[in-house]
Amino acid sequence: MLRFAPSELTDTELALQAEVREFLDSELPRGSFAPGLGMAAARDQDFSRALAARGWLGMALPRRYGGAERGVVDRFIVVEELLRWGAPVRYHWVADRQTGPLILRYGTEAQRERFLPAICRGEASFSIGMSEQEAGSDLAAVQTRGTRAGDGWCVRGTKLWTGGANENDWCVVLCRTSEEDDRHRGLSQLIVDLRAPGVNVRPIAYLDGSEFFNEVVLDDVFVADELVLGEVGAGWAQNTSELAYERAGPERWLSTYLVVEQYLRERGVTDERAEAALGEAVAGWWGIRALSLSVARLLDAGQAPAAEAALVKELGTRFEQQVLDAIWRLVPEDPHPAAESLFERLLAAAILGAPSFTIRGGTNEILRSVAARALRA
Amino acid sequence: MTLAQALAVLRERGPDRAAEMVVLGEWLLAQAGLSGDAGAVTVAPGSARDSVELRGGRVSGCAHRVPWARDAARIAILLDGRALVVDRADVSIEPHVNLAGDVRDTVVFDGAGARSGPGVDAEALFLRGALMRIALMAGALDALYEIVVRHAGERHQFGRPIGSFQAVQQHLVTIAQQVAMAGVAAEASAQRTGGFEIAAGKLLANHAALSAGRAAHQVLGARGTTREHPLGQLTRRLWAWRSEYGDEHHWSTRLGAGVASAGADSLYPAITGGSTVVSL
Repeated sequence: MLRFAPSELTDTELALQAEVREFLDSELPRGSFAPGLGMAAARDQDFSRALAARGWLGMALPRRYGGAERGVVDRFIVVEELLRWGAPVRYHWVADRQTGPLILRYGTEAQRERFLPAICRGEASFSIGMSEQEAGSDLAAVQTRGTRAGDGWCVRGTKLWTGGANENDWCVVLCRTSEEDDRHRGLSQLIVDLRAPGVNVRPIAYLDGSEFFNEVVLDDVFVADELVLGEVGAGWAQNTSELAYERAGPERWLSTYLVVEQYLRERGVTDERAEAALGEAVAGWWGIRALSLSVARLLDAGQAPAAEAALVKELGTRFEQQVLDAIWRLVPEDPHPAAESLFERLLAAAILGAPSFTIRGGTNEILRSVAARALRA
Repeated sequence: MTLAQALAVLRERGPDRAAEMVVLGEWLLAQAGLSGDAGAVTVAPGSARDSVELRGGRVSGCAHRVPWARDAARIAILLDGRALVVDRADVSIEPHVNLAGDVRDTVVFDGAGARSGPGVDAEALFLRGALMRIALMAGALDALYEIVVRHAGERHQFGRPIGSFQAVQQHLVTIAQQVAMAGVAAEASAQRTGGFEIAAGKLLANHAALSAGRAAHQVLGARGTTREHPLGQLTRRLWAWRSEYGDEHHWSTRLGAGVASAGADSLYPAITGGSTVVSL
């Protein structure tokens, strides 16, 4: 049985929400920057550093590593405000959401001391080196190989659709380090320096022409033992737990929020059709937010709500697309990506970005299978 | 019984007269200063087809779709901000049922004597009716979920449980999602009982009624379409309740207009703060 329970924010949590809203109002006022759509927003390390100065990066990490020990719900509150504002979160996004918690859980003490304070300061950026040409949803099929070489591993292979690898510092690469009968064994996670010799990064233009995706060719890249994350051969379980951090957060239902807000600001809601579209969107956000917050509370309580998270991500990402389609249908002309109107630019960006909502971080088809396993009498 | 307890009873057990009276009938009488009479009171929901008039303290006309009217001791109707209470013995009933076979009688008033009290807000009554339907719908969806999941595990075809087929799993996930949405809608609207929460909650419950109902029947196959099987009573009620106290068009336009009037800067605060930020 699935565990969902709505909850009100506590006074402390509401105070944090108010603090983030004031911060954005004063430090990043509307009109002073080009807002982006959810986690596809701009990259701005100075902004990430400003968040870090507030203690809003690595919020759930221990204080001894520079974190705030504040928990998943507090991070939820900060992240939802940043995303709905369209703030430039891309520099720190992956590090803050998943690499930090991953290194805390599986990393050596030396790795924690090396990476976690840097993540909390906004000084280290990470990419996710999972997908390959022949390993999309079926990640155990990765063909990138690590071969033993002195005090480390010689890594050879090609990662694909790797977000931000052309700009980031590090990439957590899932690769095969031994051949086993069970293909879920023999996989390892290595922390690869994206500027190391043998790393060749080639951007792949996305639908909108932007260069965020990359092909990352690892041509005999040496990775020292001190950069092996967790246990050699146990990469599958680690990778699966990492994916859980990727799911059910506000980034899975807020990607098209700003399109609606800006529609309301620029065009106004003047007829029943627009009222209905807005009402549907608001009700959906209200309900999905309650589910998503409920997952965050379960995580804070030490539970592992993998099925609930998969269910929310599947629902939330489809909802993002439904919201977009409803607003799109209100607009008679096709939106131009370089229009003067911010609404039009956001709408164009959302239309071209929407196909990835239900793919990135696990396709909806995979998520349904993950969730369905928990739906037993 | 408090309002919260009554809503919990309705979610747990389905239609229940004592609980319905707490949510609607007794509340309406208390608003109008008419509390104190004994006997079960049902409330006419108010239909566009109603034609009720009050002249010289006597009621005439028709009220439609009145739940369990034939079995009530008294019938309450709302007219121009006044609650009118008429004894069941003083009216005639045209028996009707809804899609689920539940009583939705037409009550015919022919100069019946009425006690009346002022100060009742029709919108407030409508919201409480919707609040009650959200609880009932969430409860029916909980029960539907149990039936579907058990069936998917027990029913074998092609030599294995049908729940092991991905195509069937897709339906199970849809149902689980919609049950979860209706569930948080019921709990959150019962906690706050504000216009925003009720509007959003009824809208989500209505969507759940349609999509989870459709998916559930698909999983159950032919047996779910028979009166022998309990699924049909749940879905028939969900479909009937969907229209009662506001359909999707009603609540989406009302919620949209309410949020729009607060302005773009207040849109996200409305989503997180609900009725503390926006009043409908």
